[in-house]
Amino acid sequence: MTTQKEKVIPEKYIPDVGSYIETIDGKDYLITNDAMYTFYRRTKGEFSSFFLGLRDEKKLLGCRCTKCGLVRVPPMLTHCPDCNFAPTELIEVEQVGIMNSTPPITYFATSLFQHMAPYGRGRVIFNGADTAMSVILYTTTGILVPGIINKGTEVKLVFRDNRIGEMTDVFCVPTTELSKEQIEKKGLQESEINWESPVEPELPQANDPDVAVYEKALEEMKSIIEEMNTNDRARKDIAGWKRDIQVKTKGGQFAIIIDDGDIKLEEKTLSSPDFVMVCEDPRTLLDGLAYRGAITDSVISKKLWISKNMEFNTIFKLDRMARSVARSKKA
Amino acid sequence: MSKRVGIIGAGVTPFKGTWREKTYYELAQMATRDAVKDAGIAIQDVDGAFYGIYNDIFERTAIPEHAIHGLLGMQNKFGIRITNGGATGAYTMSAAHAYIAARRFRTALVLGVEKATDCFDFSSMSATPEVIKSIGWSGDSFFEQPIGWSASDSYAEVVLAYMDENPGDLKPEVTAKISSLLSEQVRNNKYAQRQFDQVTPEEVINSRLVVYPFKELEICVYTEGAAALIFAEEETAKAISKNTGNPVVWITGVGEANEHSFAGKNQKDMSRIMSDYYASHRAYDMAGIADPTKSIDIVELHDAFVHQLEISMAEFGLVPLGKADSLIEDGLMIPGGKYVVNPCGGLIYCGHAVGASNIMSAWSARNELIRRNLKTALVHGTGSTVAQYTACMVLEHE
Repeated sequence: MTTQKEKVIPEKYIPDVGSYIETIDGKDYLITNDAMYTFYRRTKGEFSSFFLGLRDEKKLLGCRCTKCGLVRVPPMLTHCPDCNFAPTELIEVEQVGIMNSTPPITYFATSLFQHMAPYGRGRVIFNGADTAMSVILYTTTGILVPGIINKGTEVKLVFRDNRIGEMTDVFCVPTTELSKEQIEKKGLQESEINWESPVEPELPQANDPDVAVYEKALEEMKSIIEEMNTNDRARKDIAGWKRDIQVKTKGGQFAIIIDDGDIKLEEKTLSSPDFVMVCEDPRTLLDGLAYRGAITDSVISKKLWISKNMEFNTIFKLDRMARSVARSKKA
Repeated sequence: MSKRVGIIGAGVTPFKGTWREKTYYELAQMATRDAVKDAGIAIQDVDGAFYGIYNDIFERTAIPEHAIHGLLGMQNKFGIRITNGGATGAYTMSAAHAYIAARRFRTALVLGVEKATDCFDFSSMSATPEVIKSIGWSGDSFFEQPIGWSASDSYAEVVLAYMDENPGDLKPEVTAKISSLLSEQVRNNKYAQRQFDQVTPEEVINSRLVVYPFKELEICVYTEGAAALIFAEEETAKAISKNTGNPVVWITGVGEANEHSFAGKNQKDMSRIMSDYYASHRAYDMAGIADPTKSIDIVELHDAFVHQLEISMAEFGLVPLGKADSLIEDGLMIPGGKYVVNPCGGLIYCGHAVGASNIMSAWSARNELIRRNLKTALVHGTGSTVAQYTACMVLEHE
């Protein structure tokens, strides 16, 4: 049995035992922290060969119907329902394939997959297969954005260095981002690929007009953040959330401090920010905070850079606060 | 007893993001109390109960209907729970219809209830990531759950595949206009979660990407609430109608289909929602509708996503496949247009209390048929991975 150091449920997801009261229209209502958990020693049964193939041999297996010849990958059954349940046989298929359709990209993930976001998940028809297999999709060039992987894009199966016999043992990247040798290599591993690491963008030297733009935008952002701080709906969006953010722009830099319902903007440099935001034009962030466009989309379109992808969570909360203020004004 | 089945009573609770004041026991009873009151009958007059509750995890119990059966006064009578993903409510109505049409019962309670947002993610200190995680347990557990399957990304797969085959359809300015239009329509629904959340097309376009290609204001919102209907066979329905003065809205067509969940040759065609096509056309056949474009007045469809609303309307045969944008560009669904689509605001603005949603849609369709004095409505529910499940009903108002 392969042993893992990580826990099945990471510590950060587990709440303390406790309860609290929410008061609505002068009446108290009780809410308790709780969980509904079940642990498994999960049977992989007839899929064992497939998952062991991924884990131990870096092989991709499918099953071929002995009557109609249809090759299904993954080998999801032992008998073909299209041929009155004729038996199938396991075969190995190639580790290069094409996208069955354009894949979605998840930016706002479930609590289980926030560490992975943004990620693509799509279906690949590997050479030698007739059906499509769901895989995680990455680019070696940074954040996955629409347009990099489409229907018909050729992709290569890549194996994780540490494998446990799950679908997470593999993912795909476009073959255009790999060398000929890498594409041809069976069992290519993630550590054999050159991944572009995130590098903080360098900002050009500011001139006087840039500083003027910065100062004007800063005043507007201060005003918006003060408004957020007095808006109940917006304050609720950051309840329980704490982040120190350093914002760098061409004209100057400042800090946004989020502290469990409070938000403030301070003109200072943080010694150890939770993450850094860089946007050459401060109006990019201003527009997001003013509900004139999503900050999330500015990250995706690379107008705004963040030092940690995990902090998409904080970006979503800032977008949510902008919408909350706008909704309150309508109401 | 006749095989004809009609709706003779209906009730819904307010749909809210969170109901701290109520458990799902009380929400279920609130909707049921209103439905029997609307039908002018006592709960003791109801022969059997059909419960639409999607997700055990939301209710935090594995057979969530067991406790409410007695609390609704249905003890010692037939009770069954239906759970079919997002299409739970529509399949619950389909099941109740089948039992009554088979002459097993004279009357039945159809109840959908969901308490979704008790789920809470303590790592981000917000509910939504945990709600969608709970739904994420519905994906294929061997091959897809571990790699980030979610309801949104599985529907996005279908939408993007449709866009691959139909470039130029589902234009962002059209999806934005539909969302804005639904937000205007919801003003008249006092039970809606977002009754006063009107948005402009520009706001929709500017809203953040959640899962490409879906923007935040193009996606349904998770909701807590309940919806209930009382079904009756023909003689009973007519007798009740005579007492209450409320017309019977008849269920003249029912259709269902569940597709393959894997893609590729001989599997699901990702660019289509064939479940919508088969279910709607089976319902038309049963109702004797040869050309739905000439018969359907109102559509209350399960709009999990605006893009899927457009594809579903095409699969229903109400607009051509590849030209779903004609809903806006040819004015088919704008006020005064050919079709009244989601007058309740749909699941995007009224809210998505999963097991209750399609039942709420039927509640709205019945109200609108009577209020507008129109003849025929189509009610729809979609669910499971890659829009795999569909159930449809044709409602007729004589």
